[in-house]
Amino acid sequence: MKLINIITGWYLGITLAALLVGGFFIYDKLASEIDFELGMELTRQIDAYAARLENGVPAEGLQYDKLEIKEIPYHLPIEELDLRDTLAYHDPMNQNEVQLKASKSYKIDGKHYRISYFNLVVEADDITETVVVTMVAVFAIQLVFIGFFFRIISKKIFRPFHESLDAVQDFSFRKNEPLEFSKNGITEFEKLNEFLERMTKKLLKDYRQIKEFSENLSHEIQTPSAVIRGKLEHLMNEKITEDQANLISSAYQNNERINRIVRSLGMLAKLENEEFESPEPINLSSFTDKTLTDLEELIEIRSIKIIREIDPMVWLEIHPFVAEVLLSNLIGNAIRHNNEDGIITIELNSEFLKIENTGIPPQTNPEEYLERFKKGSTHQESVGLGLAIVNQICKNYGFRLYYLFENNMHVIRILFR
Amino acid sequence: MKILHVEDNPELTQNVMNYLSAEGIICESVSTLFAAQDKILSFQYDCILLDLMLPDGNGLDLLDIIKDQKITTNVLIISAKDALDDRLKGLDQGADDYLPKPFHLSELLARLKAIFRRSKLGGFDEVIFNEIRIEIHQLLAKVNEQILDLTKKEFDLLLFFITNKNRVLGKQAIAQHLWGDYTDNLANFDFVYQHVKNLRKKITAAGGTDYISTVYGIGYKFDPLVPQNRED
Repeated sequence: MKLINIITGWYLGITLAALLVGGFFIYDKLASEIDFELGMELTRQIDAYAARLENGVPAEGLQYDKLEIKEIPYHLPIEELDLRDTLAYHDPMNQNEVQLKASKSYKIDGKHYRISYFNLVVEADDITETVVVTMVAVFAIQLVFIGFFFRIISKKIFRPFHESLDAVQDFSFRKNEPLEFSKNGITEFEKLNEFLERMTKKLLKDYRQIKEFSENLSHEIQTPSAVIRGKLEHLMNEKITEDQANLISSAYQNNERINRIVRSLGMLAKLENEEFESPEPINLSSFTDKTLTDLEELIEIRSIKIIREIDPMVWLEIHPFVAEVLLSNLIGNAIRHNNEDGIITIELNSEFLKIENTGIPPQTNPEEYLERFKKGSTHQESVGLGLAIVNQICKNYGFRLYYLFENNMHVIRILFR
Repeated sequence: MKILHVEDNPELTQNVMNYLSAEGIICESVSTLFAAQDKILSFQYDCILLDLMLPDGNGLDLLDIIKDQKITTNVLIISAKDALDDRLKGLDQGADDYLPKPFHLSELLARLKAIFRRSKLGGFDEVIFNEIRIEIHQLLAKVNEQILDLTKKEFDLLLFFITNKNRVLGKQAIAQHLWGDYTDNLANFDFVYQHVKNLRKKITAAGGTDYISTVYGIGYKFDPLVPQNRED
């Protein structure tokens, strides 16, 4: 949900609550104010009539539809002002209506008069209606204002935030540029940007260090390893006995093994650091065909039968070198860990790549082979990193990798989407 | 052939010098970028073996100098920095080939000879050894003018053997030559054995001499002296 919608929702909710409470108070205040004013007016009227009685106007001469003058026994005490609602006949409306009645008694010239005066009250319904109409109008105006101005203003206020967001989404280790923001004058966003700037600088620095470390490591190991290899190759050409040849062979093979491990770890590090961009889609079908052609003699030597179900036009956004490594690792494994006279089925379409091969059933859950240095065979030459590399490649490109053993076949399936 | 080896590790230089000079290749070496500039401006080399990580800079800079000064020489980049972008950059800037460290000396020699043949001999490059004649451009191998029916890998293998004749070739070196860097999980040596066996069979079937001998458990050797030994 968008931030602006959440803010708008909350704002409207709170406004509505405030209007409800406010409406209640306004109603209350309005009702009592009207009653008070009406009472004052009635009292004034009664006082005026009392004054006229004192001035000698006979009570009988004061007959109006809202006025009631009644003579009561003189010995009764003077009644104070009494206001009360009453039902009384209202002439213009021709029916009984709730009216406010004020009455007070006066002792004038030895007579005791109770003077009452009515008037129509403003009904509760009318007040409620007024209040509700007013509040709805206020709320509607708010809605309109929020609808238009709130969005425009928030766009303006949140622009630096959105800019930061876009910049963060765009951030990539390959570009090797820390984020930089221009000043925007909003303290919170400035703080955020400052933090992002510092963080990306630190990230890039760490990234460079890791990259350099793996590069240095590979350089520092490969150079002496190359020296060892050269010396051993010289030694091979000397006059040697069979025992010496075995020693040389063993040293040589282990040196080769170090090489393979360093190179594979280097490849893994590069993948983890996302050093491979995929500039344009490549035709994976032709890469698969090429890999198979490169290896066809090995396949022939082991009398393996290849079943190809390769769609000719499978395009995939992947670095060509990475694609080569992926395919040669998988197909290589399928050849190496196969039986004599075995079968390899390769199925490739725009949805998935599936490689099935016959071979010795795995001792454990085959998914374990996807981890580093876990291997199912005791082959001297395999270092147990091939599938780890494949796994990492799949992670990098968002492919899903499955390794199963079903129907007596090793099945590797890579879903591209 | 005269080459300049730009490399800061003296042991490695020693290895390369030993191997190449046995092939009659004149090999000079320098250990810094500065010394390399000096050398290429003063002398003519057929090929420069260039390490990229040098104490005083990146070897790629030397490629710019070669281009700017219009020096005619081939460049084979050798580097442990097998970072892919370096490889592409190097080839982009005019290097002829790229060999990641650590390399087999036999592989280095094969690459050097290939570069040399491409640049000096044009399309008419042939390698002749006694009764064996290899027309590289046509991918043809003949024994006593009879064409051998070789697969691509067997052809490569034969050329690799003759280029490194008289040398013991480790099975690993052969595997890497035939299947390249990242197929090295395939260096199952049965495959090498099978290829060598097939090649020997095809040469002898065509009436050629089997020069290839097995060296204990290490590898194979293309040995011109084998027939004489047998006559003894």
